[in-house]
Amino acid sequence: MKIVIIGASAAGISAAKTIKASEPDTEVVIISKEDSIHSRCMLHKFLGHERDTKGVNFIPEDFFETNNITWLKNTTVIRLDTNNKFVKTHDNQEISFDKLLIATGASYFIPPIPDLRESKNVYGFRDLKDAQLLDIECKTAKNAVVIGAGLVGMDAAMAMLERGLTVTVIEMTSDVMSLQLDKKSAQAYQQLFENAGAEFILNDKVVSVDVDEVGRGKTIYLASGKAVPADVIVIAAGVRPAFNFTEGSGIATNHAILVGEDLRTNVKDIYAAGDVTGIAGIWPNAMKQGRIAAINMLGEKRLYEDRYALKNTVNFYGLTTLSLGNINPEPEENCEIFIREDRNNYQKIVVKNGVVQGVIIQGDIGGTGFWQYLIKNKIDVSGIDKDVFSLSYADFYDLDQQTGEYNYAV
Amino acid sequence: MKRIIIDREKCDGCLNCNIACISAHEEGSNFYTVNLQSPDAETRNFIKFDAQQGYLPIFCRHCDEPECVLSCMSGALEKDQLTGHVQYDETKCAACYMCVMNCSYGVLKPDKQTRTKLIKCDFCDDKPDGPSCVKSCPKKAIEVKEVSR
Ligand SMILES: Cc1cc2nc3c(=O)[nH]c(=O)nc-3n(C[C@H](O)[C@H](O)[C@H](O)COP(=O)(O)OP(=O)(O)OC[C@H]3O[C@@H](n4cnc5c(N)ncnc54)[C@H](O)[C@@H]3O)c2cc1C
Ligand code: SF4
Ligand code: SF4
Repeated sequence: MKIVIIGASAAGISAAKTIKASEPDTEVVIISKEDSIHSRCMLHKFLGHERDTKGVNFIPEDFFETNNITWLKNTTVIRLDTNNKFVKTHDNQEISFDKLLIATGASYFIPPIPDLRESKNVYGFRDLKDAQLLDIECKTAKNAVVIGAGLVGMDAAMAMLERGLTVTVIEMTSDVMSLQLDKKSAQAYQQLFENAGAEFILNDKVVSVDVDEVGRGKTIYLASGKAVPADVIVIAAGVRPAFNFTEGSGIATNHAILVGEDLRTNVKDIYAAGDVTGIAGIWPNAMKQGRIAAINMLGEKRLYEDRYALKNTVNFYGLTTLSLGNINPEPEENCEIFIREDRNNYQKIVVKNGVVQGVIIQGDIGGTGFWQYLIKNKIDVSGIDKDVFSLSYADFYDLDQQTGEYNYAV
Repeated sequence: MKRIIIDREKCDGCLNCNIACISAHEEGSNFYTVNLQSPDAETRNFIKFDAQQGYLPIFCRHCDEPECVLSCMSGALEKDQLTGHVQYDETKCAACYMCVMNCSYGVLKPDKQTRTKLIKCDFCDDKPDGPSCVKSCPKKAIEVKEVSR
């Protein structure tokens, strides 16, 4: 059997590894438009000069040789023929498959703001290539502007602060990382970034860009009337699943590639995993989906049931936060909110009818892995006679006597 | 593979396993000389107390399908194919702590001091005489056993 995987990142690599671990004789071909394997989550370490390209690789250098996998790098898939079962590449290769995994992730988009897209010094922060181009800009630039204060924007801002640039972050909402944090926990990070020299302009929007004679954006104008000088501009205003090449192929999509619980698309023998499925835009889920898709492609049935997307950890300047679920409930949701804080910690737990809906744990996040299980599985904790802050896995302790693995007693 | 099998009925909460773990990861120290006040003193195993159930030893399971490994974006966590143990490479770790979030049993934690690395059971690097915690337990509440995987 020949399995083709498009995408050589979290989902694609984890799928390839899973296939080769259980069926080493299956032929595996991985196609990627990029020329290196890297973890996007470490791009800020590259841009901040903490690590080189090798340092942001997440697999051993000899991964493809030892696993006997063909890797076609610098190769972009431009078309998919589901009837004749091949993909077509930008350089006119037709690569046939018995089974296909689409693991093409997501790509950033540049909002349609006059002259922003056209500016030559505007970059996304998604691929190593983006970080490499930014790296060159950082050598001469003084003023950097980051548009969007989500996790990606903050990563980019931190790296450029490391490089000694003056960094201004512009954000539409009233807080940084507003998807992951509440006001209090967001302000703690904002403060740390400001201490490092960043400036934040919140509740404001870019309306236009003034481009100079060589096509570089020089001044960014905001809805408030402010003008911000820029030598280099980073767009971190969100990403979209990347599946252009499926157009006309019959693969069902709706802003993402649609998959069932076995991660198969609507077409037989074609699966999808990772950010491209739109299920969750984080690394662990892409890895797990890659693994489960691979198991299904090999003919064993395994369901991917974890459609729970609201989860993240944040670590900037040594301040760590775990954020899960609904952390900013509306008053009409009638949730109970428990807050506990001291000098180094801020904890917020949102409960409704005995079920934990969301948590923010900022400061010491050690041993907090059990919260995700409770929230995801809607475990009723009202019967446990203790303060909600002292819950731990011990309250659900159960041991499989045979294997010695833990289970949840719920 | 070898796993530390827990018999919680036998545990009486003496915390010898905690001390043994700290000592095993503090170079040159032993059970008696270990500096428990050192900022680096971190235990990788936990004894929880529950009014109904008594003492509960919570130790890394080196799971058959470890969620922590599947979370790791740097390649720092890997399940060793030979020993079955989940090993951590500090030089690769990017301190994102997705693994802390994804270990359902809550055994992972960032280091207290710098929050640049992970504190995780390493099965005492598979030393032939077994993990230090097990050797230190006077009650045999934790024992190394061979389990199929
Ligand atoms: C700056 C940044 C920081 C992040 N930090 C974190 C973090 O700390 N924790 C976390 O959990 N997540 C983080 N994420 C999100 C995480 O990186 C993604 O969820 C993850 O990379 C998704 O993996 P994937 O395999 O689905 O797709 P991607 O990583 O997007 O990879 C897609 C692959 O497909 C290839 N490809 C795409 N289109 C084509 C085509 N047409 N032809 C051939 N090849 C193609 C690409 O070359 C690439 O190899 C971060 C993301 C960014 C951008
Ligand atoms: S850290 Fe948690 S998930 Fe990882 S092997 Fe240990 S018990 Fe399993
Ligand atoms: S904190 Fe380190 S070991 Fe844990 S998932 Fe992140 S990179 Fe991997």
